Amino acid sequence: MSSEIPTVEQLDDIAEQVWAAFLDDGNPAVIGFAAGDERGDLAASVSVAGAWEGTLVVSCTDDASREVASALFAMPVSEVTPADIGDALGELANVLGGNVKSMLPSPSTLSLPEVFTTDDDSQVVEVCRTVVTWRERTFTVALLKSPRAVAQEEVAS
Amino acid sequence: MKILVADDSRVMRQIVIRTLRQAGFGDHDVVEAPDGAAAHTVVQEENPDLVLSDWNMPNMSGIELLHALRAGGKQVPFAFVTSECSQDMKNLAEAGGALCVITKPFTADAFKEHLAPFLESA
Repeated sequence: MSSEIPTVEQLDDIAEQVWAAFLDDGNPAVIGFAAGDERGDLAASVSVAGAWEGTLVVSCTDDASREVASALFAMPVSEVTPADIGDALGELANVLGGNVKSMLPSPSTLSLPEVFTTDDDSQVVEVCRTVVTWRERTFTVALLKSPRAVAQEEVAS
Repeated sequence: MKILVADDSRVMRQIVIRTLRQAGFGDHDVVEAPDGAAAHTVVQEENPDLVLSDWNMPNMSGIELLHALRAGGKQVPFAFVTSECSQDMKNLAEAGGALCVITKPFTADAFKEHLAPFLESA
């Protein structure tokens, strides 16, 4: 594995593999093209710390998060609990983050996933993003660089 | 045979169990653990024939679990199922005595390929 910062194409590939393996129920996902620009209500993130510092975030609407949990747990949408949604979205972030981490400079560690409601965080620098459209729902997958690392780079340059 | 599936994500434990079934290993008994410490206890109490473990877990990571089992004399076959797929991780897993590292996202074919030598298919 190379230790280069992932490009949009690599992020597309990773997202495609994850959706194809775990969420292909005859509704194949479309990668890198957003049918709509739905703002996410909910996000799950994993953080990378060490030789590279940043965060991988998956965000989507409440409806999309319920749908993805129902597909992963193989249960009706009406039976999905908030705990199920947190677990499912967190694991999506974990799998995407683990694959992205293998392309980043090492050594680094991956945190356990965190799930939170989204608000506007302008303190981070986006490295790359892709959008997955699945069952007409959109999921944004973004790799963000930590503000601390960005500040250190500015001082160094 | 008895298989222990250790992962802090409930949905991932379910996906692993579903994939075992799809790979033709559905006849084996499955026990679950939500973290490394719980998995360590389950191995002592249930003596599984195979452990499938995540890497990043609270209360003892997968690699710490493997080291603890081996240090305690437990030689149960142990495979990682993890999104961590760097060469460093694979080297650590191999050095610790793991059979293999199955990378998330995985398919039923990957389970067949890696686990068939240790599990009889249904």
